[in-house]
Amino acid sequence: MEKLRKIINQIRYNKDLPEIKNLFHDMDLRNDLGFDSLDLAELTVRIEYEFGIDVFEDGIVLTVGDVIKKLEKINNG
Amino acid sequence: MDKIFFYDPLTDKLISYKIFLDHLNNLNHLEKIVYHSDFYEIFLRIVSSILYNQPIILLDYNLTDFEIKELLGQINLKDTVEIKFKKVFNEEDIKNLRSYAKNWEIILFTSGTTGLPKRVSHSFENLIRAVKVSEKHKDDVWGLAYNPTHIAGLQVFFQALLNQNSIINLFNVNRNLIFELIERFKITHLSATPTFYRLLLPVEKKFTSIKSVACGGERFDNNLKLHLQAMFPNAKIINIYATTEFGSLFASDGDAFLLKKEYENLVKIVDNEIYVHKNLLGKSVEINLVDDFYPTGDQVEVIDEKPLKFKILGRKNEMINIGGYKVNPLEIEEALNSHPCVIMSKVYCKTNSVLGNILIADIKTNSEINEKEIRIYLSKLLNSYKIPRIININVNDEISITRTGKLKRR
Repeated sequence: MEKLRKIINQIRYNKDLPEIKNLFHDMDLRNDLGFDSLDLAELTVRIEYEFGIDVFEDGIVLTVGDVIKKLEKINNG
Repeated sequence: MDKIFFYDPLTDKLISYKIFLDHLNNLNHLEKIVYHSDFYEIFLRIVSSILYNQPIILLDYNLTDFEIKELLGQINLKDTVEIKFKKVFNEEDIKNLRSYAKNWEIILFTSGTTGLPKRVSHSFENLIRAVKVSEKHKDDVWGLAYNPTHIAGLQVFFQALLNQNSIINLFNVNRNLIFELIERFKITHLSATPTFYRLLLPVEKKFTSIKSVACGGERFDNNLKLHLQAMFPNAKIINIYATTEFGSLFASDGDAFLLKKEYENLVKIVDNEIYVHKNLLGKSVEINLVDDFYPTGDQVEVIDEKPLKFKILGRKNEMINIGGYKVNPLEIEEALNSHPCVIMSKVYCKTNSVLGNILIADIKTNSEINEKEIRIYLSKLLNSYKIPRIININVNDEISITRTGKLKRR
């Protein structure tokens, strides 16, 4: 979660958006975090660098919770 | 002291024209395939093959056994021909090399940055089309900054040899030594890729012996021209368009090329791509022609229709698709390189499930700067989809280059 928050904040910092202090499962990547498709592409690549998984590979990922679920799947599986 | 033919700091060989002729006159065999790491050995074999009119295959020493097998099939690299009737050559014979090369041909391979190297064969005339021999050139000293197993290196070699100039090897030589050699041998002429020159930056010093600086093989931009003018204040800066398939074709003093009248019907632009007529190509080339024209894969921006004036934008197959937008990595590199802190950059893509591809930039800087500052700078120059989303700053010590000295993109 902390690593994910760091990645999200790095993208927000580059866009001049304020830092997010707490990350919640129901946060919408587009509406709450202000990410457009280019940002989402960047997010997937940065997550892939960190965790070795493409979270957008199969199916739609809308919220922070969706991303975490994908990451947990890898950790458990 | 005898005139220097070649000096190579990598082997520490200093060869005069006199010694070179001695070596030529003492050969007993000719190699059919040249595969050597030592540039002098390569030159010796090329010239002897011309003097004895024996076709030759030139292989880059970086090619692996596997690649050679793919290119030539099962062959004996050490295959030689005995010299039955030995002749004694002198300096005049070197000057008149052309008269010996009637049926001579040389087989080369493209650098293969985009796949397996392609085989191209050239006649002597074709190879030296851009070579100028005159009194004016007799005291030129050449810095060899290209691999001599590829066309650009061969052209430098023949330009120097036919004018009996000294050649100093700078290819694969580190930058401090390059600077030292330019001063020590008072090098007057350089011909290299833009990447070669960018790797020399930043340079405080000025090199006044250099009279001519040629760039080729990659896109030239005016920002590089400014750096070159500062580094070589007495030099004429020339941008050359050439490919392995047909040698040098156009030259200009900036990033735009004007088509010479004699090439009017031999060069055309189709869908912003340069097409070159087969008459300008090497002898036999394994390529597909479209109505006798060869599609070069080089994309241009046409500035004027008649006479044709254009700028090279990049390679067709280097275009990157970002969410449906075509992006030219060279355009982005040029924008990055225009930042005062950036010495060199490489832009490439990584596949991605959201947009197909995402742009990544590796940059080398001369002072501290962060990713955000670069992005803000780029946003003033480029559309948002053209801005690299991941910028690695000074992560890789060396931005890798291909065996012909170009920036490696894959």
